[in-house]
Formats: sequence, C-alpha cells, structure tokens
Amino acid sequence: MAKESIVTLTVPALPEYVDLVRLTLYGIASKMKFTFEDIEDMKVAVSEACNNAVLHAYGGAEGKIEIQFASYDEELAITVRDYGRSFTASENKETPSLHGKSINEIQSGGLGLYLMQALMDRVDVQNDGGTAVTLTKKRMKSEETA
Amino acid sequence: MLTDKFTLRTESKEGQMIVFVGGEFDLEVATQMRSAMEPLIELADQRLTLNLQDLKYIDSTGIGILISIVKARHARNASFDVEHIPTHIRKLFDMTGITPYLAKAE
Repeated sequence: MAKESIVTLTVPALPEYVDLVRLTLYGIASKMKFTFEDIEDMKVAVSEACNNAVLHAYGGAEGKIEIQFASYDEELAITVRDYGRSFTASENKETPSLHGKSINEIQSGGLGLYLMQALMDRVDVQNDGGTAVTLTKKRMKSEETA
Repeated sequence: MLTDKFTLRTESKEGQMIVFVGGEFDLEVATQMRSAMEPLIELADQRLTLNLQDLKYIDSTGIGILISIVKARHARNASFDVEHIPTHIRKLFDMTGITPYLAKAE
C-alpha cells in the first residue's frame, strides 16, 4: 500500500496566519517534487479553504484552524478543519464564475469554492462539529513531466 | 521562499493614476487595499491603471476587490485598466472569468 506521511499545523483563525499555511504547503509540495504550476494551484486552493474558516467559522470570536498535509506516493491531500459554525451548502453556493455575465451581474464574492474546485483534483467538504475541507492533488509521474 | 510582503505605490501624472500592486494580495491586506483605492475610484476624470508586474499572489478576496473596482469605475463612467499581469495570476483571472473586464488584459 501507499506510504503515508502526515504533517499537521495549527494556527489561529486570523488572516495574518494564512501565509504561514502557504509556506508550509510550499515546503511539503516541493519535497514531493510537484511542478511549480501545481504548487501555485494548491497555494490558492488551500488559502481559500483557510479564508473561509477565518471569515465564517467563528463569527468574530477566537478560534483555530488545523491543517493536515497527508502525502502519499502519488498525491497530496490537505485537510483544513475548523471547530466553528458549519456553513451550509446553500450559504456557500454563490456565483460559480463570472463567465458570460454582464458588468452589472458580476459579484465580488463567492469565488473561493469555485477556485478550489477548479484548481484541485478533488474537493470534499464535511460538516461535523465544524467544517473540514479536504483538497487532493495528484502528482504527475516523473515520466509524464519529463 | 519567504513570504512576499504586500506593496502598494501610486504614481500620478497628467490625468493618469498608476497603482503598482506587488507581493501577496490576499485577505490580510484587503482592508488596506480597499481604503487606498477608495479615494482614487472617485476621481472619475482620471485614468486609473493597476500595474501588477510585481504581484506574486492573489486570492479570491483580491479578485473580489478588483471586481468591485471594475463596477465602481463603470458606474462613474470612468476608465480602469489592469496591465502587466504575471502568467500564473492571469490563469486565475481567466479561470474566474474576470479577464474581459480588465480592459488592457486583452
């Protein structure tokens, strides 16, 4: 079976800690030899998951975000978990993207989940005493990148 | 790799304002960016351009702010252009569909 290595990071649910999550992701994904482009994609997706936790989970009260990086032979699964108020699918279901919309129809919110889905291979959301978003990216085999 | 600090610098000359946005444009700096742009958005007789050549990273908060600038300038019948968009950021603009609203992005 595939070997699994886990790194866990816990940060306060505050905007100024999201870049720390990106730095950790960069280190782990580089070690796994992901391409620059894949690392950039994951940076955005993971930050969006953290932003959601920062903005919505604790309603202004103190809280924490746990980020678990689980690396396997061929993929990296990142779980961003908070222990706050779960936001339901309907709350989070906004404009999927701006394509084909007029300037008066476009909205400045709701792009986070869309970006996560567009940038990762898989996005799983679980609501159980908080929200856990698992983002998975497959690593191209070396013969494909060569 | 160290975190790329957000930088903001404005040049004004002859009816044109160019705002250079660099580093990481994310949730952490959203308030700073909004308050810096607010007075510039009101100057409808000036051309407003964002230069993104030193931008390293943008998230949906940053893209959301760009969208609100597009809408605010449009409502004032005023110009707004975004230029020198780095490739990996251009990819996010294309993905979300904002590119056609950033005039100079072609």
